[in-house]
This record gives sequence, structure tokens and C-alpha cells, in this order.
Amino acid sequence: MKDLYLYFTMGYPDMDTLERFISLINADKVNGIEIGFPSMDPKYDGPEIRKSHSSAVDPGRERMLEFLKILGMKNIPLYSLQYYSDICSDIEENLAILRESGFSGIIVPDLTTDYFKDSEKVIDHIEESGLDFIPFFSASSPDRVIARQCSLTSSWIYYGIQPSTGINMPMDMAPGVQRIRSIAGNRKMIFGFGIRNEDHVREAVRNGADGIAIGTILLKYLESNDKNGFIDLVERMRVALNDNS
Amino acid sequence: MLESYREEIIPEKWYNIIPDLPEPLPPPLDRSKGRSSIDLLNDIVPKEILKQEFSFSRYVDIPDEVREQYIQIGRPTPLVRARNLEKRLDYRGKIFFKFEGATVTGSHKINTAIPQAYYAAQEGSSGTVTETGAGQWGTATALASSLYSLPCTVFMVRISYQQKPGRKVIMNTYGADVIPSPSDMTGSGLKFFKENTNHPGSLGIAISEAVEYAMKKNLKYMIGSVLNSAITHQSIIGLETIKQLELEGEKADSLIGCVGGGSNFSGFVFPFLNDHEDMDIIASTAEEVPKFTRGEYKYDYIDSAGILPQLRMFSLGADFVPPKIYSGGLRYHGASPSLSLLVRNGRIKAEDVSQNEVIDALKIFAGTQGIIAAPESGHAIASALRYIKANKNEKKTVVVNVSGHGLLDLGIFEGKRE
Ligand SMILES: Cc1ncc(COP(=O)(O)O)c(C=O)c1O
Repeated sequence: MKDLYLYFTMGYPDMDTLERFISLINADKVNGIEIGFPSMDPKYDGPEIRKSHSSAVDPGRERMLEFLKILGMKNIPLYSLQYYSDICSDIEENLAILRESGFSGIIVPDLTTDYFKDSEKVIDHIEESGLDFIPFFSASSPDRVIARQCSLTSSWIYYGIQPSTGINMPMDMAPGVQRIRSIAGNRKMIFGFGIRNEDHVREAVRNGADGIAIGTILLKYLESNDKNGFIDLVERMRVALNDNS
Repeated sequence: MLESYREEIIPEKWYNIIPDLPEPLPPPLDRSKGRSSIDLLNDIVPKEILKQEFSFSRYVDIPDEVREQYIQIGRPTPLVRARNLEKRLDYRGKIFFKFEGATVTGSHKINTAIPQAYYAAQEGSSGTVTETGAGQWGTATALASSLYSLPCTVFMVRISYQQKPGRKVIMNTYGADVIPSPSDMTGSGLKFFKENTNHPGSLGIAISEAVEYAMKKNLKYMIGSVLNSAITHQSIIGLETIKQLELEGEKADSLIGCVGGGSNFSGFVFPFLNDHEDMDIIASTAEEVPKFTRGEYKYDYIDSAGILPQLRMFSLGADFVPPKIYSGGLRYHGASPSLSLLVRNGRIKAEDVSQNEVIDALKIFAGTQGIIAAPESGHAIASALRYIKANKNEKKTVVVNVSGHGLLDLGIFEGKRE
């Protein structure tokens, strides 16, 4: 069975709504939850997720920890999505909170591109802290970077299909995926960025995805508090994922 | 026999360096509040070009039809051993130059204009639009559009429009409309036009105008340089050169070229990089537009109005209006991200050359090899002369990319300074 990962921005549209939607998630259907911590500059995200970062409600420390605790009880692996530019000044504290809240790993979309020189040190550090560093690759990742990061980590791989979240540029998925596969072997690859409908899901699976991550398309359900729409969407994605498997 | 020789030298695939870079290429950045500036490309760039831009295949098939057109426009271009120049310089190594000026439009620009027009025509678009600095890119776009019967509009940086009336005549002859930029035909142009109806313009402004016009009129925007798909098409320069050196039994020690947006230089150099770790590689830029030596490595807009996405590159600022030098093709504030990355990491060295040094170099090259090279290419030649002087006793094999001829840029020799 293929994996389904859901992305949410912390505090968006507000804590109560977010919590209500999280409570709708069923561990039979969803294999992972990604929580984006609002960034000053979520630069590799598209307009919709960027907007969720800028209009998210800051819950304050207590409320955030409480929320993370609820998340931790869901028995679904948790991953944070955080920009290195936001966490570098206080990385110890950040890793401690994630670990104590039961997170499994951390995705850092800007680390390899914007902090290449420091990236291996940071990856080692995260791995030593007891969290998985989730390598984030795309079709533009060079061979030698893929090889190095695979040797430093052991988790699944996040594969960004599109250059940012929420957009859809024409592309051939095959060459990029095959190149990463030839280096990463049979590590699990979860495809994200730009998956908006069932056709996209099937295309990802056809190209070798072991699962998909969706985020942008969830936003409208949270914004309009459409719980049934949300449940229905998750169901449809699940079905599309199983179509080819 | 002639045909089979050509077939042997012209590659069957373009080469894209991205999978072989030492570091990941920072992706384009969308800073828009409304519609994504990356998504916007879907409306104005042929789908197949976007596919090449975002798929990052190491090798991309050159369609047979495009290979045939490459032969029609004069490919493969010659690789010439510059024996007269060697003698004049009393150099005991070897100097070769790859002469992109031998294409029918006079520069390397046609190498990417043809596939872009080809894909645009295949997808049934109603016409093309672009900007031009030196006039070389506009000329290439005009011809490529004519080959596929596409109407073509070119926004030409005003200073070049005034300096090089011959370029306009050629573009018109190929059937294109030429508009001096900044113009009053687009919002991004009007802003500057209102300030000064004789504004000299810049490539950054002209790109904004062309993109805006493409959106308004539902045309395909032709990408002259900077973006990776154009650079991939230009890899034909380096791939041919590798083959030609091989046939001569030669091996390059040093590669030298000039940089505007980075397309001729990257196309020439990138195919060599994997197998030639120890080569000296020099990117020559205009002292008046010192992007690598004085610019900042940062995310900046491709065009002055910021309609297109930001790219991580060396930049002097998207609003930088360069001095009115004759090398119109080098009057661009940035340089392509892959080239910028390799300059920053030290694999490629960059140096600036002044217009006066360029004029001297052009004269030496003309007086020995007989070729009036383009002012842009004069930077590469000047850097090569410097390099040879500094390595006089080392017997290196130096290969210079002469990106274009300068037969329509003769003003530079008359000492005219605007
Ligand atoms: C003859 C010639 N050389 C070089 C350039 C610089 O552009 P690029 O760096 O993209 O090759 C131009 C651009 O107009 C040109 O016309």
C-alpha cells in the first residue's frame, strides 16, 4: 500500500479549527502528518502556503505544546517542516521540542540549497539528536549531493516534483526520479509539491512514488471549515493511490 | 561527404549540467502576492521548453527537424587554429577559436532560437516576442520565427537601436517588427518612457516589456539567455568543440568566453566540465557591468519590473542601468544561476575587461585572423590575450569562444562614445 502524508501549517487558519481537522484524521488512511512551523520567509512555498504562513495565528508556547501533545497521541508519524533560516539560531531547543512531542523527523527545504556548506554538519547533528533528517530532493538535485545525503541518513526521501508548492509546470517526472532511484536504491520516496488531484496522484505513482504528500489542496477545506469535503478528499486521494498499487 | 562530416560533429543530444553540479541549484523563487510568477510562464513559454526547464534531464534529444535547421544555418561552426595570432603573440602553445559568428545570423543566439520557435510552432502559437540588446538575439529570433512562419516582435534596447540601425533592417527583412525600448506599448516601458523619451534602456527593462506584451497579445516569449533551457540548447557549442578537438587530436587546457546572461559561455564550457577537472576556465565580463566581481550572489529578479521569478545569481540589481558600452549583449545585471554557482564556488574564474582593452583586442584579432569579432566576443579575446601573456612559457592549448561577428558593430572602432 502507498503512503499518504498530509501537510498543515501550525496555527492556520486558527488553532481550534486545525485541531478539529486533525481529530478527523484516521491512522488507517494517513501515514504521516507534516507540520509547517510558520516562517518569516517560506521561500520555497507557493502563494497559497505562503499566505497560510503569514496569516497563521501564533498560539503561544503553552498552546503549541498542548497541540503537539494531542498530535503525538494520534499514533501517526509526525514530521516538522521548517526552514533552516528560522531554526538555525535555536536549533537545540527546536530539536528538543520535536523529540519530546514525539516527532519522527524533520524536513528542512532550504538547508541543502541555501546552506550547502553547513548542510552535512547539520544533518549529522539532527540524526544524532534522535530525529530522522528527511532528505529533500528534486529533479535538479545533483548526483553527488543525492549520494552524500543518502549515506548520512536512513529515512524515506521527500521528492519535490515542482519547483515550489502549489504550482504545476509541465515536466517529465521520469528522468529525475530514475536518476535518484539509481543512487538511492529502494529507499522509500514520498512525492510532494504540486499534487492537486487524482490524476496527479496516479502520475506520481506511475513514476515510482511510494506515497504522496498533499498540502495546498487541503487549505481551502480548513479555510471554509468544510469537514466533509476534507474527509472526502482524503478518501479520494487514498483511492487514487491504491488504483495502481 | 560534406553532410556526413557535419552529421558526425553535430551532437544528437543537448547536455544539461544541473545533475552534475557540485551543489544543488537553488530553484526559481516566486515573490508574487497573487498569481505565481513561475506559473505565469505556462502562458508565455512553449510547453516543451518548460518541460526542459523543469525536468533537468542530463541529456535532451535534439529533434531531427532542429538538427536539420542547424545544418541550414551553418552548423557545425568552425573550430580554427589561430596560427596567425599565435605568431603575432610569439606564443609557443596553441590557440583555437570556435567561431559562432559563422552562423547566418552572426552569433550563437540562433542555437536556441531555432528550437524555441520550433516548439512554439508545433504547439500552434500565434507568434513570438522577445527583447534584444546587441541585436544578435533579436536577429536570431526573427529568422527562427520566419523559418516557422511565426510573426515576430522585438523590443530593442534603445541605445542599441540607435547605435546599430543595420540590425533593425535585418530583423525587418526577416519579417519582424522592431520597437525601441523603453516604449509606450507596455506598462513596464511606459514608466521609463514618460521620464525620458530618449531613455537608453536596458535588457532588464526590455525583458519586462517583451513578457508583458506576450501576456497581453497571447504570444510566445523567446528566452534569450539566463534560463537553463536556453543554456542547454547552447551546449551544442561545447559538444561540437569537444568533437572537433578530438578529430584534431588536441586537448584543451584552458577555455575562455564572454558573459552577458551566460548562454554562450555556459554552452561552450559546461560540456567539458565533467571530464576535465584541471582546466583553467575564464569568464570575461565588461568592467562597466562587473556582475561577478562587484555584484552580489543573491536572489534577484530576471527583469526590471519583477514580472518573472527571482533567480539566485550574481547580480548588480534588477534596476541597474548599465553604462552605454558597445557590447550591448553584456549590458545585463545578472548571469544564469548555474554559471553563477560555479563562479561562486571557484571552479570558473571571472575577470572584467574595459571597453578600451576590448577595442585593442578586436584590432589584433582582426589584423591576424581577419575576423571582425563582436564587441561582446572582444571580451573573450582580450581575456585570452591576457591569459597567453601570463602563461607565455607554458605551451597551453587555449580555446576561445568567439560568440559572434561584429560587422554591424563597427561604431566601436570609430571611437564614438555616446
Ligand atoms: C555576440 C554576443 N556574444 C555574447 C552575448 C552575451 O549573451 P550570453 O552571455 O547569453 O551569451 C551576446 C548577447 O546579446 C551577443 O550578441
